[in-house]
Amino acid sequence: MPGFDFSNHTRNAALHARGVPLPKATSTGTTIVGCIYNNGVVIAADTRATSGPIVADKNCEKLHYISPNIWCAGAGTAADTEFTTALISSNLELHSLSTNRQPRVVTVMTMLKQHLFRYQGHIGAYLVVAGVDPTGVGLFTVHAHGSTDKLPYVTMGSGSLAAMAVFESTWKKDCTRDEAVKFCSEAILAGIFNDLGSGSNVDVCVIDKDKPTQLMRNYIKPNERSKKERNYKFQKGTTAVLDQKIITREEIGRYVTVHEIAGSDSDSGSLVVVEKMDVDDQP
Amino acid sequence: MASLMHYASLHSENPAYSFSEASTIPHSEASAGPRQHAFYPYTDNGGSTLGITGETFAILAGDTRSTSGYNINTRYEPKVFRIGDDDSSPIVLSVVGFAADGKALKERLDTIVKMYKYQHGKPMSVKACAQRLSTILYQKRFFPYYVHAILGGLDEEGKGALYSYDPVGSYEREQCRAAGAAASLIMPFLDNQVNFKNQYVPGSGEGLSLKEKPREPLPLDAVVGIVKDAFTSATERHIEVGDGLQMILITKDGIKEMFTPLKRD
Amino acid sequence: MGPDMATAMLGEDGIHIDMNHLKKGEVNLGTSIMAINFKDGVILGADSRTTTGAYIANRVTDKLTQVHDTIWCCRSGSAADTQAVADIVSYHLGLYGVMNGQDGPTTQTAAALFQELCYENKDQLSAGMIIAGYDKRHGGSVYSIPLGGSLHKQSYAIGGSGSTYIYGYCDANWKEHMTEEEGIKFVKGALGEAIKWDGSSGGVIRMVVLTNRGHERHLYLPDNGYTGPGRARPATT
Repeated sequence: MPGFDFSNHTRNAALHARGVPLPKATSTGTTIVGCIYNNGVVIAADTRATSGPIVADKNCEKLHYISPNIWCAGAGTAADTEFTTALISSNLELHSLSTNRQPRVVTVMTMLKQHLFRYQGHIGAYLVVAGVDPTGVGLFTVHAHGSTDKLPYVTMGSGSLAAMAVFESTWKKDCTRDEAVKFCSEAILAGIFNDLGSGSNVDVCVIDKDKPTQLMRNYIKPNERSKKERNYKFQKGTTAVLDQKIITREEIGRYVTVHEIAGSDSDSGSLVVVEKMDVDDQP
Repeated sequence: MASLMHYASLHSENPAYSFSEASTIPHSEASAGPRQHAFYPYTDNGGSTLGITGETFAILAGDTRSTSGYNINTRYEPKVFRIGDDDSSPIVLSVVGFAADGKALKERLDTIVKMYKYQHGKPMSVKACAQRLSTILYQKRFFPYYVHAILGGLDEEGKGALYSYDPVGSYEREQCRAAGAAASLIMPFLDNQVNFKNQYVPGSGEGLSLKEKPREPLPLDAVVGIVKDAFTSATERHIEVGDGLQMILITKDGIKEMFTPLKRD
Repeated sequence: MGPDMATAMLGEDGIHIDMNHLKKGEVNLGTSIMAINFKDGVILGADSRTTTGAYIANRVTDKLTQVHDTIWCCRSGSAADTQAVADIVSYHLGLYGVMNGQDGPTTQTAAALFQELCYENKDQLSAGMIIAGYDKRHGGSVYSIPLGGSLHKQSYAIGGSGSTYIYGYCDANWKEHMTEEEGIKFVKGALGEAIKWDGSSGGVIRMVVLTNRGHERHLYLPDNGYTGPGRARPATT
């Protein structure tokens, strides 16, 4: 069966009726904006994801790919914005392959609104859709209930008021690429500093009619963590080891395929960094 | 009898999950039925405070951000106050929670401590002030001051003294305490770094027979470092903490106030 | 909590109660829409405010939506619901136009389609709509579909939360068979009052004039007291 799995619905409804709270989804607070310019469109977002008052991710990505020339900025429930944009991106590519045409921004907007309307707001995706297509430049907002707006500059999320204040006081029509980037990044900064739901860095995406799309990840980083006062390296042996079990390569090889990674000397301690995590460097 | 009935009810209607006792407050606004309307006189203004004592000093700190919801009311609203105006017996109070109540409480305690000196001709001891604060809080048992207070000073022996309170006056003298929005983030850090919890002496044994790292009084510069790191870290992960860090240090030489900027996002 | 252009009703205490409010736990929202018959056709008019709670989500909204060449509608209530309904009707009329050639659908047909959707889904929708159009068979005609999904053919119709303020104005100033100029003055005057008194209506006044010449858009800005710029582009068919 395609679509959502409702098999736990009855159980969850019963638990909910007994007072068990719903699980917390990440990110309701966000600032996302968009602004058109004389030869394209710019969208931007902050990078904070929250779960209640706790920062769940300090540098998340809220700019989502739809097609090379169409991008989305998402606010609301993180999972909903991610899966909805991925679904529409996928369907749009199939559509564009079967019609042999470049995808259009209105098509994306229509697919999104019809999908979201069907779910009556239960899919908490608030999106800014932007892009260029053979008909020109497009910039829309799509709300979770399925309503859409078409405007030359837009803001969404909990920081939308702070961001809109910047647009309403500084925006000029027929602006250049650089001016649009400036408007958008300033609007996001207003959200970052004045809205608690938004924070960390500014991501910007520039979609030009004649140039390849530019995703400027962490375009501005106004909130770098200062160096810690103290050293938190513990002496070896500080933590009590209550139990240990050593699994040899031969043993684990019975269950999974073991690959040797170049440069890994199992005992020498020269670790291979598979994926670097953005954690604070120790002084 | 009551326990038997409880046992029976577990089998009959309630599932025996640990969360079966979770709150039964109406959970959904959308659910049908009459909606109650009442004036709620409290707001949560966020922020965090923290106090640590050393051998010869006490330090109280708090961030200076005041919030309501996702908004910042102001980036500078101190949560740590000097009580009384006697430098021979310095007392400092920090309050976090509902700022209006915090301010009212501080004003009340301040007046009482000043009046005490006028009437008795000697400054109030920290111990006496701590007991008095507890009484003030309990007097409003059924309309509490919505605050988590921490009182700091030096005791009769000149050692650092720290008292922490719940909103209705239950209190305890402690070595260190974090309160407010990020208390759950800071307190475990303090347990580990101030009281050396979960730290053992390397090579002193095997498993649970390892010797715990003995608690030793920390020097002032180390404590200031811990306070700053606690707040910069809480700022990273809690949205209501930030803007500025106000620290008040109490030693036999008197009171010293320090301010360090924090991130403003 | 989608943005809305509300269909307000008056509670027993005289305070605005909104159907959306009751449905989705949202505060009062607003709109002022109307459509009138005049000598040569119909005129539709609307304010341009869309709100999410107290926040104006769009101050230049276009609430006048084309569903066929010379059949348009004014939307009030939930923005999502009314857009969805208009999109569906637009699809059916488009298909009807292609299948039946030459004359195209009548306003009555369009209104019936709107009613079908609004009535059959009344428990799920908060959409208050006014349908107005010009067709060769009937000339200009105006239909109103309030919240429950009933259909009313009228010489003129008003709707939205702002409409409560202009019943008196319309009653006092309405005339049958007005000229285009008189009609525009009437609509502009009425919507001007609605915007003035209703806090949840505002922005610009948009109008669409439907005659045998096709459709013609008008725009009136608050910057100059709703006097201009007026006609936006020449008639098309």
